[in-house]
Amino acid sequence: MAVKFFGQFLVEKNIVTRDALLRAIDLQDQKNLKLGEMAVSMGYITQPDIERAHYAQMTKDLKLGDLLIEMGLLTLNQLNDTITHQKNTHLYIGEALILVGALDNAQLVQYLEEFKVDQARYVSDGIELPGAIANSKIWEMAVDLTYKMITRVLDMHFRPGKSSVATVIDTNFMIAAMDFSGDVEARYLISVSEGLQSTIAKAILREESVENESSEVLEDTVMEFVNVVCGNVVAKASQMGVVMNINPPVTIRPPTVGLPVPAGHTALSFPIHTGDGEKMELILLIRN
Amino acid sequence: MKKVLIVDDSLSVARQLERIISESDDFVSVGHAKNGAEAIKMNHTENPEIICMDMNMPGMDGLTALRTLSVMDKEVKVVMVTSLGGVGDKFTEALKLGAKNVISKPFEADDVLRILREL
Repeated sequence: MAVKFFGQFLVEKNIVTRDALLRAIDLQDQKNLKLGEMAVSMGYITQPDIERAHYAQMTKDLKLGDLLIEMGLLTLNQLNDTITHQKNTHLYIGEALILVGALDNAQLVQYLEEFKVDQARYVSDGIELPGAIANSKIWEMAVDLTYKMITRVLDMHFRPGKSSVATVIDTNFMIAAMDFSGDVEARYLISVSEGLQSTIAKAILREESVENESSEVLEDTVMEFVNVVCGNVVAKASQMGVVMNINPPVTIRPPTVGLPVPAGHTALSFPIHTGDGEKMELILLIRN
Repeated sequence: MKKVLIVDDSLSVARQLERIISESDDFVSVGHAKNGAEAIKMNHTENPEIICMDMNMPGMDGLTALRTLSVMDKEVKVVMVTSLGGVGDKFTEALKLGAKNVISKPFEADDVLRILREL
């Protein structure tokens, strides 16, 4: 039901064993050279060059390839050659599983097809962001995945409202938030009215009624929904080559005047209309 | 029935897992720890056969606890339950540290029980 990578899908379905997957991953680690190692193997740079560049990376926030060019150790053409060679010789997990004897060619084709069907529900439908923003593909994916999870996990019918750049985060009954760090930095927030908090709690706890539940449990269900969405956003981002991390979720009780957008951040607001007088909003507080 | 310890900072996830386990004839829940440190203590006092553990928790996280458990107790089978299951590096790290499998959130009851029965 969640965003997965192919190896995980195979282990979860008991198609390959955990040990076979680990052997295949070890083989990938041996065969798939990192950028610097590949450039050395192609004779463009030497091992001491990589060490100098790694040392320089401690004070410069640049990717290794860009830094090697800046230091005059690699030309742009050589960098492009290296990246192309890396891509052309990359050993994928399915191929590695064949090499370790866990799958044959026919099984690989069959299970890749089953995997595509399993993951088709998480293929992005295309979301319009309000204006140009860096890393837009990641934020479009985060919004899209939120909508999909509202349907699948909460079983709620809704209509996405028009997105906008917000100057204040509107007040509401509660907000559950989670921080993204890594290649991109942002705070993911879901704001809900009291009635929607109950709706979410019923769905997460799979209970007909949550009248007797404590406020701690009710808040926890909204945080858990945020945790599920954000974890899947991180998984999808890793498939897009973007490294993201998350911390445990937190709850915010916003004041009646709302919350100001901190300096150095852009707040993107995505209203979620549920048609029952309740209020729900997704806010992405993106560090500029 | 096999004894299962649930480790998750989320009350709602613990409730979901306890319900799934209690509705099965094969497993019984022996308690709920809220972080990795509590899990290590309860593994000693409750002696579970299986631990279902979250990765991302305040205090001692799931991977740190897994590392400790895999040294202290060679018998207990740990399954990670996490929204980060689809992140290849996290999944691989959990398996390398000794987890028997990883259940991704959101999960279905049937998938959880199938994975626990296959241990």
